[in-house]
Amino acid sequence: MDIYLPIAEVAVNAPLIVALGALVGFISGMFGIGGGFLMTPLLVFFGVPAPVAVASMAHHVAGSSVSSVMAYSRRRAVDFRMGGVLAAGGIVGAFSGVELFRVLRLLGQAELVVSLSYLLFLSVIGGLMLAESVGAILRRRRGESPPPRRDRRPVWLYGLPLKMRFPRSRLYISVIPPLALGVFVGVLSAIMGVGGGFILVPAMVYVLRMPAGMVVGTSLMQIIITTALTGVLQAGRNQTVDIVLATLLLVGGVLGAQFGARASSRFRAEELRAILAFIVLLVGLRMGLGLFLTPEEPFVLMSGMAG
Amino acid sequence: MIPAAAPPPAAISAALTDTTVQVSSDFRGARIILYGAVFDASARPSDVVVVVRGPEQPIRLTRKHRVAGLWLNSRPVVFQGAPGFYRAASSRPLEEIATFGTLRRLGAGIDHLAINAPEEQRTETRYGVRDVVVSRLGSDYFVWRRAVVRLKQRAGLYNEDDRGVRFVDRGLFRAEIALPTGAPTGVYRADILLFQDGRAVSSRTRTLTVEKVGIERALYVWAHVRPWSYGLASMAFAMLAGWAASAAFRRD
Repeated sequence: MDIYLPIAEVAVNAPLIVALGALVGFISGMFGIGGGFLMTPLLVFFGVPAPVAVASMAHHVAGSSVSSVMAYSRRRAVDFRMGGVLAAGGIVGAFSGVELFRVLRLLGQAELVVSLSYLLFLSVIGGLMLAESVGAILRRRRGESPPPRRDRRPVWLYGLPLKMRFPRSRLYISVIPPLALGVFVGVLSAIMGVGGGFILVPAMVYVLRMPAGMVVGTSLMQIIITTALTGVLQAGRNQTVDIVLATLLLVGGVLGAQFGARASSRFRAEELRAILAFIVLLVGLRMGLGLFLTPEEPFVLMSGMAG
Repeated sequence: MIPAAAPPPAAISAALTDTTVQVSSDFRGARIILYGAVFDASARPSDVVVVVRGPEQPIRLTRKHRVAGLWLNSRPVVFQGAPGFYRAASSRPLEEIATFGTLRRLGAGIDHLAINAPEEQRTETRYGVRDVVVSRLGSDYFVWRRAVVRLKQRAGLYNEDDRGVRFVDRGLFRAEIALPTGAPTGVYRADILLFQDGRAVSSRTRTLTVEKVGIERALYVWAHVRPWSYGLASMAFAMLAGWAASAAFRRD
């Protein structure tokens, strides 16, 4: 059953898109991430113009993150102050990211920057996660005890000015690192069509040293605020948001997320991280591959730019 | 000897089965039949050419080239004058019907489309970006122009069919216009031309409107006319849907 997307101006197979949403929702519920990094390339693969896929993903990520953050907020696992600081940075990042994406599209280089960002960020993060989680699995197999967690916080984090208390996370640090992190993730969300959880979560754990229980809920809060803004800006500036597409994805996404969250309890944490790392690495390499392979057709029509 | 009276001039007439095509959620392309008749008392050999043009759209095209092992896009080149849809159907191969010059003048045939080739290396400021090349001349230009046609043909938007007009009875002909899903909305113009001895002796023009209807049209218009309110409303809708889903699945 095909359905015509009014903004993308292509017909897609509705059950296929819902199934795609469910698959990505399952993965995102299982690992506590938004899943945009996986969804955007898949949509492009199924024929949705890239600008529309990137912009509509913001709506989908915002919607599905709202669905997950409710549960975390009920468990008091959201640091609203830290989320607010991250989101303030995210707002700046989203504004600059949407403008940057617009200019890149006009220059014809959007595709290159998107591919490079995927290649760079996903393979670095995926590689690091894979090494870390495989190490943990091997240590457990050999019956070794995990290495002592170095709880010494990086000195530079304490040397910076503008310190602020984050009671829920039991932190007293400068606001500059979380603000900068927020800006960075905001720009990425506009350019890559992702929520940015795959960068935010490791950065909050390893750089900001937030308590593990607070990380996912707080990152979701930042993601919602940033993607909500990105989505509205994409609609307003670029007119590339297809609400029909976002709704189809959302239907599958929320269902998949519920089953994913249940399935996650069957795996150990490091096994989950290893699987996720593998998926992240695979998507990053696949996106980057396009830059190196000789294209079948050297000419590319730039869609969505008429008039 | 009685001088032969000059036969009355031949004329052509045609009509489309549909004059509007409605694009709704189940739109998967459309097939429109064009019927027509040739009126010629002296029954001279006649050829019919049907040329359908969709609304004009500027085309932005980039070419990938290799830089240090990476395939990068060139500066975008803007082509003007390319119809969003083009179909030339004829009763015989076009080059047998008329000369190159005649076909070129009428824009009959993909090779004769007036996709602009103005002054060489003209750069303009477009969409606020400087130094966008609007057109190039020289041998490179033809490679680019062929690419425009090739990509449009692959999308089913440009085609040529030298058996596309069939005479079903004496003087009565029929042609099909197949619109793909990606056919642009707007007013299409169908020129029906009657050729005798290599000259276009009679022509008719019919118009066809492709328009979005129903909710698709409402969303499209809303998103383009009031983009900010569309963005806010659609985001509110997405977040509300997420909240509703979490409430529905709440297990505590």
